[in-house]
Amino acid sequence: MRDATQQIPTDRASLIAEVRQLSPNLSADDTTVSSIRGGRAAAKARLKTLDPAEYGKTRNHLDGAVTQLSPYIRHGVMGADEVRDQALELASCKTAEKFVQQLTWRDYWQRLYREYPDHIWNDVEDYKTGFGPEDYADDLPEDIAAGETGVACIDQFIDQLLTTGYLHNHARLYLAGYICHWRRVKWQAGAAWFLSHLLDGDPASNNLSWQWVASTFSHKPYYYNLDNVEKFSGPDIDTAFKRNKPLAGTYEDLRKRLFPNGDFQ
Amino acid sequence: MSVIWIHEDAITLDHPAVTMAGEGAEIIFIWDTERHDEKAYSLKRRVFIYECALDLGVKIMAGHPYNVLRELVGEQTIYTAWSPDPDYREIIADLRDTHEVKVIEAPGLVSVPDDVDTKRFFRFWNRAKKSAMTPSHQVLESETA
Ligand SMILES: Cc1cc2nc3c(=O)[nH]c(=O)nc-3n(C[C@H](O)[C@H](O)[C@H](O)COP(=O)(O)OP(=O)(O)OC[C@H]3O[C@@H](n4cnc5c(N)ncnc54)[C@H](O)[C@@H]3O)c2cc1C
Repeated sequence: MRDATQQIPTDRASLIAEVRQLSPNLSADDTTVSSIRGGRAAAKARLKTLDPAEYGKTRNHLDGAVTQLSPYIRHGVMGADEVRDQALELASCKTAEKFVQQLTWRDYWQRLYREYPDHIWNDVEDYKTGFGPEDYADDLPEDIAAGETGVACIDQFIDQLLTTGYLHNHARLYLAGYICHWRRVKWQAGAAWFLSHLLDGDPASNNLSWQWVASTFSHKPYYYNLDNVEKFSGPDIDTAFKRNKPLAGTYEDLRKRLFPNGDFQ
Repeated sequence: MSVIWIHEDAITLDHPAVTMAGEGAEIIFIWDTERHDEKAYSLKRRVFIYECALDLGVKIMAGHPYNVLRELVGEQTIYTAWSPDPDYREIIADLRDTHEVKVIEAPGLVSVPDDVDTKRFFRFWNRAKKSAMTPSHQVLESETA
């Protein structure tokens, strides 16, 4: 349909029009395109911003020095080995280690995908939450899909997911934790939703991380409180108590509220 | 002459599948709308993938990869990058009934023994760390030494 010699559309609008034409079943309401560009030049530009020392110190903060290379790595536009080599070029082994360790998570998930393809959509282990799979809703509630949960920071994360197709790791954890534990929705529903929006959407990294949050692939469920969100969020995220009440409380309170029969340590 | 099938898990020409196919191989990216619909990919995901594919400057064909390749490829060998995706593995298995398909794996980030424990990440990391922290050029040097 498109020959190598054909002119590549130089403006994004024609490129988007081509994609639309190729996707006749795509809903007419789906009009959002991310500002994150595809292609090697864009990947290289991101790689240039890599700062392993800063990464080690700030990576858990939503405004920390993370690379946003995941969409390129996921689609093989840039290899994780190339990124690792650059990190080791820029910093000592000790300084680069945290970054390389994070890169290795991807390798780890891919290995599991290869070895156990069934783990992608099935619970690897039982839930440790005190609930069984039957206690979780099958479908994603509409208010979540629309980003209208009424929990301010969660709605902001959803908006970011829907408009940019990218979320910081910590925001993914907060959102997945909210869906699995505050709303008691099956991790599969959340994972499928992430995969349709994340530019880096990857069956292994995504679904196995969801299972880690849900506790079907870890010793305990991942949960957090509003203080934690406040600690790791920059000024752009609304963490006011009155607009985020369901997330507020001590870990002990939340544990009692979310997992009254939980048997994890 | 060979055909190189580029799929969505390796949208690159910097891959051993491309090198091994040799000069003059025909390179095609296959755009699979049915796959995108099935996975409910949003417009932004599709645009990102298309933009990456266009950037390669290769021929793009639309359709199910099995049908496209069956129709396009005669006696030639098909080269493609290895992927854990069960759909791709199935397509490759089906193509092999009628064609020679070479599935090539890129070196990747770490190399660890096959019996490595993958039950939890940190056990894996302890075994993988040395290899993960070794730059590619050093691995190449030790392999050719
Ligand atoms: C619920 C949930 C869903 C996720 N879904 C995906 C997904 O679909 N695709 C995906 O690539 N990652 C996923 N991750 C992992 C991680 O959040 C992203 O890889 C990371 O946030 C991408 O941002 P970055 O490129 O700025 O990462 P950086 O922190 O800059 O890391 C560099 C690279 O290392 C890799 N990496 C880092 N952390 C992880 C991790 N925990 N797991 C796997 N790879 C990692 C990525 O390739 C990333 O681009 C998910 C995590 C959670 C908790």
